[in-house]
Amino acid sequence: MKSLKTLGLVMVMALALGLGAGCSKKTEMQTSTSTEDPAAALNAAVQTITDGIVYFDYDKYDVKSEYTGMLQQKAELMKAYPDIRVRIEGNCDERGTQEYNLALGERRARAVYDYMVMLGVNPDQLEMISYGKERPAVSGDSEEAWALNRRDNFNVIAR
Amino acid sequence: MRCRLNWLNWLSAAVLMLCCAFAAVPVRAVTLVDIYGPGQNMVNMALASPLTGPGKAATGLGRELGAAMEGNLGFLPFMRLTPPAAVLGGTVLDAWQGAGVDFKRFQIAGADLLLTAYWPGGDGRGGEVEIRLFETFSGKPVFSGVYKGVTGTSVPATADRICADIMESLTGSGDFFRSTLAFVKTAGSKKRDVWLVSPTGKGLHQITNISGTALSPSWSPDGRYVVFSHMDDSSHALGVWDRSRNRVQRIRFPGNTVIGPVFMPDNKVAVALSTNGYPNIFLLDHKFQRERVLEQSPGIDVSPSFDATGTKMAFTSSRMGGPQIFIKDFSTGQVRRVSMNGGYNTEPALSPDGTLVAFTRLTPQGHRIFVQDLVTGIERQVSFGPGRDEQPSFAPDSYFIAFASNRSGQHRIYLTTRHGGEPRMVPTGGGAATFPRWGKIPEEK
Repeated sequence: MKSLKTLGLVMVMALALGLGAGCSKKTEMQTSTSTEDPAAALNAAVQTITDGIVYFDYDKYDVKSEYTGMLQQKAELMKAYPDIRVRIEGNCDERGTQEYNLALGERRARAVYDYMVMLGVNPDQLEMISYGKERPAVSGDSEEAWALNRRDNFNVIAR
Repeated sequence: MRCRLNWLNWLSAAVLMLCCAFAAVPVRAVTLVDIYGPGQNMVNMALASPLTGPGKAATGLGRELGAAMEGNLGFLPFMRLTPPAAVLGGTVLDAWQGAGVDFKRFQIAGADLLLTAYWPGGDGRGGEVEIRLFETFSGKPVFSGVYKGVTGTSVPATADRICADIMESLTGSGDFFRSTLAFVKTAGSKKRDVWLVSPTGKGLHQITNISGTALSPSWSPDGRYVVFSHMDDSSHALGVWDRSRNRVQRIRFPGNTVIGPVFMPDNKVAVALSTNGYPNIFLLDHKFQRERVLEQSPGIDVSPSFDATGTKMAFTSSRMGGPQIFIKDFSTGQVRRVSMNGGYNTEPALSPDGTLVAFTRLTPQGHRIFVQDLVTGIERQVSFGPGRDEQPSFAPDSYFIAFASNRSGQHRIYLTTRHGGEPRMVPTGGGAATFPRWGKIPEEK
């Protein structure tokens, strides 16, 4: 039941984001959520920010166009909830070597960090770290596993 | 006859002590084994049983010393030890000095060199040990040394000193046995610590124990510090272990990225930081504070490695696309790419003499170690798996290379040389072992 409510809130927020732009969008979303349980709305925002993962091509750190919408949604939520702080965690697959992968993970985290700041997120709400290949999401020695490990995670560290 | 022998022994021991004072010295400063040339030669060495007197093989400590020396010398790829069973008449001699030694039996066994040890207290009292190395065919001494105050607890360290001196007299460098490897050992999914061990597996002990992941240790040239990169859930930091205080500190930097710190010959540190927005190579001062940028590009610049003069720096850069090895010459400021084959070359290790760079290449079979001659550009593959071979590190002698490999399942540390050859595993106990880095701890005064 609770998850259904959460899903509903997310859908409301997504709809709100899709309807307007700029300040009017923020006002509309705050209005729509303020009529509901504020704590639940915050939980939903945190969930939305956390759930979306950005994946990268092998040895690349450019953000692919398919993720811009997701990142815009995260950015709007972070602007709506200025107490939310997010750590962007850059990761790599296991094929490369450790020091280069730490640098590559940093570039992946920074690429998303820069994009979020460009979208208007306060830099004080963001931090980033590279885990290189040290913290894989899935284990395995296949292209599928590698693709799932080349990623940026979004970890909400304050709310 | 017995009296004459004793008198001669005492006389020669006195002369030997006068010559050697307190340290072991080579009798001849001639390099017998060229370990650096293209055609590395092999030498056959026989070890006579350590003696407590003429015809009296030592038991107890003396036997331990003999076994420790044999174990050590087995790590030298250019040395083949003659099996005692191949020596007709056995390896217990009536004398340990040139005049009385029966070289014939060792010649027949195919030994080029014979090592003798005389330790009157080798049955248990300890004390002074005399070591001599001879050419078996001429009977000429190659090396002799006296090692004082040897006790049961100092047998392994004495074996290291003896073997260092022997290797130096044969090749010109004995640093292999004077070195200590820093390396990273896995203690859990997110916990890795820095440990120390000799290249022959002695003195294994842990030097850091902080939550998080330690990577890329590097010794200071004076042997006082080990720096490393350290990563926990929220931050990267430069880890610094101070040997004199046995204390570790974490130093953070703007940008929250610290990758591959390495000491330079002047005891300053080079490290990749992302302070400027990209991972570039910075120089830190003696207080581990940022001094200036050493190398930068809009791509990734990491993994600096220096020669013994500090004028050449090898590093990994993605400035031309995929990761490749570059060299910066600080005397001219020029940067040149040196890896021309393969699309993924990382982890350069410049030899201290500045003539070679070892690095890791991703091949269709996995990561392998290659060595490139920086003068001719000729490249040689020196490791062949299976599994991943990575993180090469040149020894101070520019001959040995340590690297990590999971060829036996778990990552372990192996030794090979600039010429390649069968790798030898360094005993490091349980837990995956990676990132071997050579250093030298000064001997206690």
